[in-house]
Amino acid sequence: MVALSVTAALVSCSNDNCMGNSSGIPLAAFLNEGAKVTMQNLTVYGIGAPNDSAIIRNASAGQVYLPLRITAHSCQYVLDYNSDDVENDTITFNYDIIPYFESRECGAMYNFKITSWEFTQNEIDSVTVLNQLITNSDVVTINIHMQ
Amino acid sequence: MKAALLHRIVTLVIVALVAVTVAAQEKNERKVTPVKPATNKVLTPPKGTDEEVIQRYLSGDSAQARAKEVKDSLARIYPHYPKLTELSLGFNFGDAVFMAFGQKYSSFDLSATLNMWNRFQPVVVMGLGRAKETPQDMNFTYTGKLSPYFKLGANYNFLFKNEPRYQLYAGVRLGYSSFKYDITNVDINNPYWGEYGINYEMRDVSSNALWGEFLLGLKVGIISNLALGWEVKFHGIFKEKKIDSGKPWYISGYGARNGKWAFGISLYYTIPLNRNHWPVKDEKMKPKNK
Repeated sequence: MVALSVTAALVSCSNDNCMGNSSGIPLAAFLNEGAKVTMQNLTVYGIGAPNDSAIIRNASAGQVYLPLRITAHSCQYVLDYNSDDVENDTITFNYDIIPYFESRECGAMYNFKITSWEFTQNEIDSVTVLNQLITNSDVVTINIHMQ
Repeated sequence: MKAALLHRIVTLVIVALVAVTVAAQEKNERKVTPVKPATNKVLTPPKGTDEEVIQRYLSGDSAQARAKEVKDSLARIYPHYPKLTELSLGFNFGDAVFMAFGQKYSSFDLSATLNMWNRFQPVVVMGLGRAKETPQDMNFTYTGKLSPYFKLGANYNFLFKNEPRYQLYAGVRLGYSSFKYDITNVDINNPYWGEYGINYEMRDVSSNALWGEFLLGLKVGIISNLALGWEVKFHGIFKEKKIDSGKPWYISGYGARNGKWAFGISLYYTIPLNRNHWPVKDEKMKPKNK
């Protein structure tokens, strides 16, 4: 009985916890002259997202998740500054989609490899992709440098 | 003057007598040379009947007979098994038991163990493993295809003084497997973009792994040449193939990659070798008339 109990306990034992997101999602941070900044009254939405849904709407944000489409190899995001003085900016990401098995506990997902990116420069100075491989690790992979 | 001279002569005579007496006592004193105790000599009676022992003394060199006596005694304390003591063929069926408790993978292997001097035991293992798992509330089915694995290693039997029928041993193994797996029924949702029920599958993903094991085992003879054994293993992966699409959950012969412990239950068939050179467990070797 003892042997059977130990066996059952060990079979059911698992210490691998699943952390982070499901599929890979780029996390973008806003910077100004190299320092992190919080953008005020910012709206971020994807072009073509259903029901014109926004990631954030008229909110303050120092960083923002930019989920990529899994049925296309490109997607565009609009940064609306909600100001009459400043035009909106658009960032376009082109990427490869990589099927990925993380673990039994975290499951199967997609990773992405960003192959190129473009952006308008109304308020944006530059966009830096820190790591082209986008996994579900909860780390900043894109820096958006503001003017 | 005469009295003083006489007193001096008497004193000298007394001193001379005392000196001679002390010298004589020292000369007669028994000297003892320290002897290193030989505790492992003749701890038990020599091999053979009393007549045989006496005959050995009578028939030849008593020193040789004495040496033989010591050797027999030591042999009884530390029985020496021959270099090739026995060969054990094992079948590990432990995973059949563990699957009854919900384990979703299994490996079955055959092993050959050569017992040398009843102490050192080189081991070769060959087996096949497979897995199939669709975890609840998860978005995939994992299929580890039936794949071979191999292990090389050795055991050290702590009970080398006892019969080989009962063994408690520690061992090491080096394992290798080349295997394939499928990940199917993948279902992914991407709510922001309204993408639901996106499916994909990865088939015939090829990988390999090299790992090591430390183990503790117990082997008990049950009937005739059959024995049952249990092993507890602590293992870790040394090296594996890097794959862009992730790491395999199941490695044939190793088990689930996130488990550090594994267990084995084996049935052994043992073939004794050089049986006539095994130490004799003989009633007549016990002390008599004591």
